[in-house]
Amino acid sequence: MDAKLSTLIYTLILFPLIGAMVIFLMPKNRSELFQPLAIFLSIIPFSVCLYLFSNVNSKSSYQQFDSINWISSYGIKISFGFSGMSHLLLSLTSVLILLSFLSVTDKHSRSKGFIGSILVLHFAVNGVFLSGDLLSLFIFFEAILIPMYFLMGIWGGENRRYATIKFIIYTVFGSIFIFIGTVYAGVISYSQTGTLALDYLTLTNLSFTQEQSKALFLLFTFGFLVKVPLFPLHTWLPDAHVEAPTAGSILLAGVLLKVGAYGILRVSIPFFTEGFLAYREVIAFLSVVGIIYGAIVAIAQIDIKKLIAYSSISHMGFVMLGISSSTLLSLEGAIVQMVNHGITSGALFMLVGFIYERRHTRRISDFGGLKITMPKYAAIFLFTSFASIGLPGLNGFVGEFMILMGSFNTYKLLTAIAAFGVVLAAIYMLWAYQRMFTGEIQYEQNQNLHDLDTRELFSVIPLLVLMLLIGIYPSFIESYVLNDAKFITDIVELFTGGLD
Amino acid sequence: MNTVSEIIGLNWIVIGPTLALVATALVLLFCTITITTSDAVKKLVTISGIIFTLFTVFLKFGLFLTEGASSYFSEKILLDEFSLFGNVLLGFILLFNFYPIWNSSFELKDKTTEAIILTLMSTAGFMLMVDSENFMMLFIGLEIGSISLYALAGINKGSLLSNEASLKYFLLGSLASCVLVYGISLMYVSLSVTGVYETTIAISFIGSENVPLTTLIGILLLIIGLLFKVAAAPFQSWAPDVYQGSPTGYVGYMAATAKVASFVVLARLCIVSLGFVMDKFELFFSAIVILSILIGSLFATVQTDMKRLIAYSGVVQSGFILSGMTSGINGTSASLFYLAAYILQLIGIFLILSTISGELTSDFSMNNLSGLFIENKFLSICFSIFMLGLAGLPLTSGFVSKFILITNLWSYEKYILVFALMLSTVAGFYFYLKPIWIAAIDKPENTMAKISLQLNEKISIGTLAAVTILLGVFPNVLINISRWVIENYL
Repeated sequence: MDAKLSTLIYTLILFPLIGAMVIFLMPKNRSELFQPLAIFLSIIPFSVCLYLFSNVNSKSSYQQFDSINWISSYGIKISFGFSGMSHLLLSLTSVLILLSFLSVTDKHSRSKGFIGSILVLHFAVNGVFLSGDLLSLFIFFEAILIPMYFLMGIWGGENRRYATIKFIIYTVFGSIFIFIGTVYAGVISYSQTGTLALDYLTLTNLSFTQEQSKALFLLFTFGFLVKVPLFPLHTWLPDAHVEAPTAGSILLAGVLLKVGAYGILRVSIPFFTEGFLAYREVIAFLSVVGIIYGAIVAIAQIDIKKLIAYSSISHMGFVMLGISSSTLLSLEGAIVQMVNHGITSGALFMLVGFIYERRHTRRISDFGGLKITMPKYAAIFLFTSFASIGLPGLNGFVGEFMILMGSFNTYKLLTAIAAFGVVLAAIYMLWAYQRMFTGEIQYEQNQNLHDLDTRELFSVIPLLVLMLLIGIYPSFIESYVLNDAKFITDIVELFTGGLD
Repeated sequence: MNTVSEIIGLNWIVIGPTLALVATALVLLFCTITITTSDAVKKLVTISGIIFTLFTVFLKFGLFLTEGASSYFSEKILLDEFSLFGNVLLGFILLFNFYPIWNSSFELKDKTTEAIILTLMSTAGFMLMVDSENFMMLFIGLEIGSISLYALAGINKGSLLSNEASLKYFLLGSLASCVLVYGISLMYVSLSVTGVYETTIAISFIGSENVPLTTLIGILLLIIGLLFKVAAAPFQSWAPDVYQGSPTGYVGYMAATAKVASFVVLARLCIVSLGFVMDKFELFFSAIVILSILIGSLFATVQTDMKRLIAYSGVVQSGFILSGMTSGINGTSASLFYLAAYILQLIGIFLILSTISGELTSDFSMNNLSGLFIENKFLSICFSIFMLGLAGLPLTSGFVSKFILITNLWSYEKYILVFALMLSTVAGFYFYLKPIWIAAIDKPENTMAKISLQLNEKISIGTLAAVTILLGVFPNVLINISRWVIENYL
């Protein structure tokens, strides 16, 4: 890779961090500048991502572009690498960060800590998507926790203490397994190469026995699955979403959930393929359970934010189903669906945030007839709901269709059951829409709600455009994930002997 | 005359740091008793004494480079990598703690110089301890250091807690010293050895199978005496009370020096003297490590006093350090890195605690921290860095030390220890994040008193926090140093 590209990619990691420092060093009495400055600071990574769309490397499979000696006496290196999947997720992150800065209202925008935490979060997430070795992956993975701890703990809802502690304990518990896995991989690497090198290129050349591969796959995947979250490990998610501030929810759903799936695609499957082949049925089964369970529980919710949280569990179940079937189409679908879900659920949480600022309630039954007072809001909400359900022509359809098509050959029954998740999605989303927006206005407080203003429209409409674009021209985004998906299917086929 | 001094290895540079510290203490004593001097002069004398001490440590490096590891004073004093490592760490501890110690002592009014002299003497003792080749020398150093610390714990006579801490520390510490001396005498009785290298030679001469039980018991008792000083379970019972009771300005210093000296001596003992009989102590050490981690973690989760929490966390951290030191040479280097990283965090936390609560107060309830994030951003961020460093979060030195240590243990196939260390890391996240939660997120019941930070305090705290982060991001230098310490024993 050329030097120019590495410089650009380093700016993606370092710029948010420098931005956070700038924000922290700003004088307190100029608080009105924080939000414009933050928007300006996040435009730069965003434009770098846009520029990278034209670069040929952003369509390739994984490439390492730099490696720094970290602890020389143990031979530990910190490496950075890049692929099409990383690039898409980096772009998603930068879009969502930019828009969540736009959508932040006065209450939070004047707080240094809030703006700074989001920038630190941007740094850590970009680090995960660009890391080229297990150690730096773990370091950035854990670094995500610090800004989230403050975002949820300080600016969260009433029950934030419980939700934050639960979120932290779940994630730390999961990442301990990743840590053990990293140490184990280090010990194996030490016995084979004489150094503790853990970069992905070294890992490809190591030979693991079947037991080692299984153990390492379980360790890493468990840690990542907590973050996804897969069905029995999901219980932190609804609490965290409900209590987090709007920007926190957007980033939690839009970006942080992808970190787990990204880890599985980048680390668990390519390096510990034998382990993956041994346990893929379990993951597929659990993800289908998650799809149906999340959808059914979402129907029963009375809190709109919790409803979207449970719908996330269902949608991420599709991603995991696509990953575990590991055909070319399903893997492509899984990566595309990761991006789609980021866009859609980010938009939904943003919309819920808008209405919450007006009414200070999220109970579905407190609304009704909003279509009359807030027509633009209702239209946008309906559009986003359609995208979330998977209406053909919008982005949700593309991902879910690819996943279901690709998985059908591998798991016929499970895929058939999973398809019902789409139907259930229509039930919970449209029923919620019906209760909130249609009919007569029942409560007086809803009479005088003002519709979305320009700032709010500006922060949500780019996401709607993306939904439409991906929906009608999916081959654009598909061309960026093709090589990543191919890389994984090649490895899987290598181990299954080409029979799949 | 010249030949005699050459034969017995008379070289003042080797005990230079100790001499410099004792001399400074004597000058201070003179300044107080014989002629009345202003505080400014005393301060100048003290700080120049400390700087001179660091300079003599530097001279020792020069001597080491020309002579290599060798013993002096008819095999009483040793100059090797361990003693240099210990000297540097002890010197920096004294330097970083100078201001809290000075401020606390200044508040004592009539006993200002007394406290300073005790501090200097304790570092002198511990410097002698890490330099010692002969076990009797070790004992002398340990006693000079410890007795000063007992007095320092009770220096605030008006406070009941301080008196209690001093008495407890004194009684239990003397008991531990008795055990240590008894162990040394048993070793002398059975093998006629009193030196670090003599023990190795004697053991290799008679063969590790034929080592008499008396010697083994002697070594065991010697080790127990040292384990008491580092507060490893089940010898930890004094630590919480002493930490809680002693004036806050001194606790960071007290905890750090005793730990550094004892661990450096222990590391040398395990690598040099016990190389051949280490397998006989393996079960004992594993038990100590697991007990320390379990007891420390369990008790730390229920503490409401910040200083007691740090004391129990110290028990856990001692378990971590010990686990590497007793697992071979690579493990020892990991432990030395761990020790240095931990000590810096420990000092930093107590610096912050003493600026918040005032130097002489004893107990420090965790609720005192609430509102810290609103009152003082700088202190709160540094406090979070230190606590997260203790917890072992990535990007701090705590993570690197834990990673290196656990990887080494795993490659020695000590799976039970690895499992225990992992468990305690998870538990650690609970009790290290709790104070941060109180400081950052809890709404304070009554607004916090204004914290006035002096520039020097700001510099020391900021430096320690920066080092904690820097060692987490660029650990290479310190790791190479810790490798250099053990390189010759590979």
